[in-house]
Amino acid sequence: MAQPSGLLFSKEHEWVKFDGDVATVGISNYAQESLGDIVYVELPRVGSAVKQFGNSGVVESVKAVSDLFTPVGGEIIEVNGSLEDEPAKVNRDPFGEGWLFKVKVADAKDREKLLSGDQYDAFIAEQK
Amino acid sequence: MKRTPLYSEHVALGARMVPFAGFEMPVQYAGILQEHGAVRHRAGLFDLSHMAQFELRGEDVGPWADALTVNLVSTMKPGGARYNLFCNESGGTHDDVIFYRLDDRWLLVCNASNADKMWALLTQRRSGDVALTDRRADSALIALQGPRSIEILGPLVDRDPAALRYYSSARMTACSRPALVARTGYTGEDGFELFIAAGDAAAVWRRLLEAGRTAGLEPAGLGARDVLRLEAGMPLYGHELEEDISPLQAGLGWAVKFEKPRFTGKTALERQRDADSYPRIAGLVMSGKAPARPGYEVVHGGAVVGEVRSGSVGPSVGRNIATALLRPDVTQPGARLSIRIRGVEHEAEVVKLPFYKRA
Repeated sequence: MAQPSGLLFSKEHEWVKFDGDVATVGISNYAQESLGDIVYVELPRVGSAVKQFGNSGVVESVKAVSDLFTPVGGEIIEVNGSLEDEPAKVNRDPFGEGWLFKVKVADAKDREKLLSGDQYDAFIAEQK
Repeated sequence: MKRTPLYSEHVALGARMVPFAGFEMPVQYAGILQEHGAVRHRAGLFDLSHMAQFELRGEDVGPWADALTVNLVSTMKPGGARYNLFCNESGGTHDDVIFYRLDDRWLLVCNASNADKMWALLTQRRSGDVALTDRRADSALIALQGPRSIEILGPLVDRDPAALRYYSSARMTACSRPALVARTGYTGEDGFELFIAAGDAAAVWRRLLEAGRTAGLEPAGLGARDVLRLEAGMPLYGHELEEDISPLQAGLGWAVKFEKPRFTGKTALERQRDADSYPRIAGLVMSGKAPARPGYEVVHGGAVVGEVRSGSVGPSVGRNIATALLRPDVTQPGARLSIRIRGVEHEAEVVKLPFYKRA
């Protein structure tokens, strides 16, 4: 399945969209499908510093707790507070309304360690 | 990995298959919350063929089983079904089971996770006129659960399922196949369990799904089943029951018949009952949105007072719910405790089980 254009991906199944030095982060459609019904999302604090691929919260389905790993490092400048009441948005619209947080990117080189949509598709295919 | 006779039905329905107690089992089809809702409001169909079915025959089955279990078996009448537990000498639980008494034999249904252990126990302890048959390879079990179960099953069987009392069973022809139909289940809803031959399983499963479609019947997986049973306050072996958790600790004292002259674990259970100082399972309702999970610490006044054994969202409760094994002095309904989740304490209040009771 082709991924939405303009996004990069991590091997932990997060997507990232760059807009200047601000990166919006979410989990991929593959990730939300694998998790099933998402019932709780715990996001990092606004103002906290995160390292690329560092722990940055959890996503919980009915059955399981999964760690979130941010695909880019920097400062958390915004989180999607609406997920507190409606975590199912992550299932419904993982690349849109189900976004998780925004990072002011500290190092532009972080993107070099991420996968293109095609590379991510190939990565998923290997996992199956 | 073993497969039930319905494995290919699950795959064809798009189920997500996961390992469970040595079987590849469907954890979900459309989604756990949707399946949960189907069972609460309409009906759900479960494959429980992984559960172990053992047949017991002979004049001595009643007294023999009375001595091995905490509840009474010998007093059961044909057509009866009874929840029971096998304990070890320390009072901990080997397994929680259901005995079904038929006209000429007994059917014992054990948890899949304990099946090998239980078969070994039964065969090692066999004595007198007791014949044991392992039916795991040639039997299947399908559960139809939910308020519309009765109207779905009615036209497919040759006897009136409404005439079956809760916790009783009868031989019927179901979907043109011989079946033992029991009014039992593990969801907190009305429903039936159909014991059938492995070779008939796929035909019965399909026929039920097809016949129930207009009533909103959906296949439901182990994920939904776990949420349903937790809301209904029913213990699950490995969570609320263990080799080191007794029936008394799990709140199942009603099933322990101390008036029996002897049974495995009786002395230890009597001691536990008399001291009354044992940690016990209690229900917790959370005010926050983070779900509790097995293993999380329960805290009161800065001290750890217990451990979460099961935790989930409770769609029919409207809150997150959990069971915990707690120090006895904090198990009063209304007690305000905390559950430690990733280092942060979240409010939880002790409530009387079950969390959910059907109207």
